[in-house]
Amino acid sequence: MQILPSLSSSPAARRAARTAIVLAASLLGTALAEAQDATAILRSAFDNWRAKSSTATIEMVIHRPAWQRSMTMLSWTEGHNKSLARFTAPAKDAGNATLTIGGQTYVFNPKLNQVIKIPASTMAQSWMGSDFSYNDLSKSEDLLSEYTHKITSTARSGGHKIYVIEAIPKPGAPVVWGKIEARVRDDGVFVKETFFDQDLKPVRVMSADKIAALGGRAYPVVLTMRQSNKANQWTRITTTKAAFDVSQPSYLFTKSNLQNPRD
Amino acid sequence: MLLALAWRNLWRQKMRTALSLLSMALASAILVFMLSFQLGVYDTMKGNALRIFDGFAQIQPPGYQDDPDIKKVIDNPDALVRAALKIPGIDAATERATGFVILANGEQSYGGAVVGVDPKNEPGVTSLAAAVHDGRYLRPGDSDVIVMGSVLARNLNLKLGDRVTLIGSGLDGSVAADSLRLVGLFHTGMADLDRQIAEMPLARFKDTFAMGRAANVVALAGPSLDGVDAALPALRSLAAGNGLTVADWRALEPAIDQGITLDFSTGILFYVSLVVVVVFIILNTLLMSVLERTREFGMLLAVGMRPGKIGVMVWYELIFLAVLGNAIGIVLGGGLALYFQIQGIAFAGMEAMMAQYGLPDRLYPALSPTSVLAGPLVIVVSVMIAGLVPYRRIGALKPVAAMGAA
Repeated sequence: MQILPSLSSSPAARRAARTAIVLAASLLGTALAEAQDATAILRSAFDNWRAKSSTATIEMVIHRPAWQRSMTMLSWTEGHNKSLARFTAPAKDAGNATLTIGGQTYVFNPKLNQVIKIPASTMAQSWMGSDFSYNDLSKSEDLLSEYTHKITSTARSGGHKIYVIEAIPKPGAPVVWGKIEARVRDDGVFVKETFFDQDLKPVRVMSADKIAALGGRAYPVVLTMRQSNKANQWTRITTTKAAFDVSQPSYLFTKSNLQNPRD
Repeated sequence: MLLALAWRNLWRQKMRTALSLLSMALASAILVFMLSFQLGVYDTMKGNALRIFDGFAQIQPPGYQDDPDIKKVIDNPDALVRAALKIPGIDAATERATGFVILANGEQSYGGAVVGVDPKNEPGVTSLAAAVHDGRYLRPGDSDVIVMGSVLARNLNLKLGDRVTLIGSGLDGSVAADSLRLVGLFHTGMADLDRQIAEMPLARFKDTFAMGRAANVVALAGPSLDGVDAALPALRSLAAGNGLTVADWRALEPAIDQGITLDFSTGILFYVSLVVVVVFIILNTLLMSVLERTREFGMLLAVGMRPGKIGVMVWYELIFLAVLGNAIGIVLGGGLALYFQIQGIAFAGMEAMMAQYGLPDRLYPALSPTSVLAGPLVIVVSVMIAGLVPYRRIGALKPVAAMGAA
């Protein structure tokens, strides 16, 4: 799942999809329907999480046993594969920026005044020292496209129904996880995501610590990523301001804008 | 008296004795030479592979070897370097810091490890400087320079004098970025080093990665690997006093340790079959001679010699044979090993494969008490044990029946 929201289909399309699923369920039987249902729920969560586009102010706290640091960034997204994050605080990191376009990730460092492409071999490494990797930025759609989905159970919490969806990588899918378990609320909000390694042991857990109205929708405002095998080590992202479905200027997601911001 | 008899008996059948001696001598010569060669190569392999980058041992923060995170640090590396140098067996120590970074040149970028090294102390511990084939190694007083593996530089399209940028994560979690001038390329033949490693001056590294005075490891070396291994207990107590651990050469280069263990186990199989074959050949000859000499033994019994004494006599013959044969074998095998220890053995066409294990073009056997004595000793002891078979046989002889034998 990704930190920076982006893309979606319209509510109308979503309704159409649900209608189609209901139809399919009656025609093809429950097993297939359940798989499609699970996929549809995940897709609606993605749609809620991102929008056609978004502009947000995000605070990121990185916690380690020995220290903790807090950073602030502005983020812009459009569609499902364009995102830009520009750090504004602390002073030491201000100006560093990360751009994801078309599957490639670039970083800008103000000290070097240079744009550096992140090589494929290091995409799994930590992004800005956090518990998120570059892959988390650019490959969040994998959960939809590279996995098969199944609802394993449902639960109720705070007046909402919560679907527990198990995602198993499709054969030969280029993914690092052995399994992902996602908990999605019936209104399409990600509640929790657990990442398992190839031995199906949990590696890290991302949970929505606070769900509130933001930019006109229910939104996981505070998300925390915890490493399962490293106590006292986590990264928390808090979205303080957000606007969705705004129109983004075309120059925004370009390498030249990464290096020389126009705004 | 029995010894003299045994000695004389041995030379009654000159041809047979000579043949037995020869087979034993050849077997033990092979053992001595092979063992000297094998152990010699292992030593070179360990020494070279460790010398090139790791050092013979390292003082590290706990867990660093498995997960070399820049955030696992040694707070007082300079004091530790001084203390380590006081330990007998250690003659060089140097602090280092390592960051995993993205190295970039324009559009080209690769992941790699950049190691901050102290240009003054590092050459005492490692020989990477000697592997620099283009340009130069780091010098004291250097600041914004870097040396890297030739493959890494080629992947990045870098030439000497070019600027390379690196970006990674500092000790405090901030973005660490720097721009450095490439002054040297090294080629070690070890793919991991040539493809992934770059070195920059430690002072600059500490600045860029916000390390303060801290370092990640203290690398150690001494005149010999055995000497450093012997110093491990002292090193461990020094490290433990600072809340740190020691990684010995096996921990630093587990692949080499496992490779040696595997190679040695297959070697042992070969040696064991050689010893078994030789011991059976000798035993066979001896049993034949005992059968042949049944009449003679019957005579000895008849004149009043006790069966036990005859058995001991035959056993002595066997030991003479074994000791003499192995003495010749040691001279032959040891001499051969000594010759190649000076000359070296070249393996044409295998240089690249050998370079991967940190081996030079020529290999040298190394004579040591172990390599010289282990093989022959095993043969002698096995023959002594096998000699109990004819001894028991003689014990069962009856004088009249024996004299009546063919």
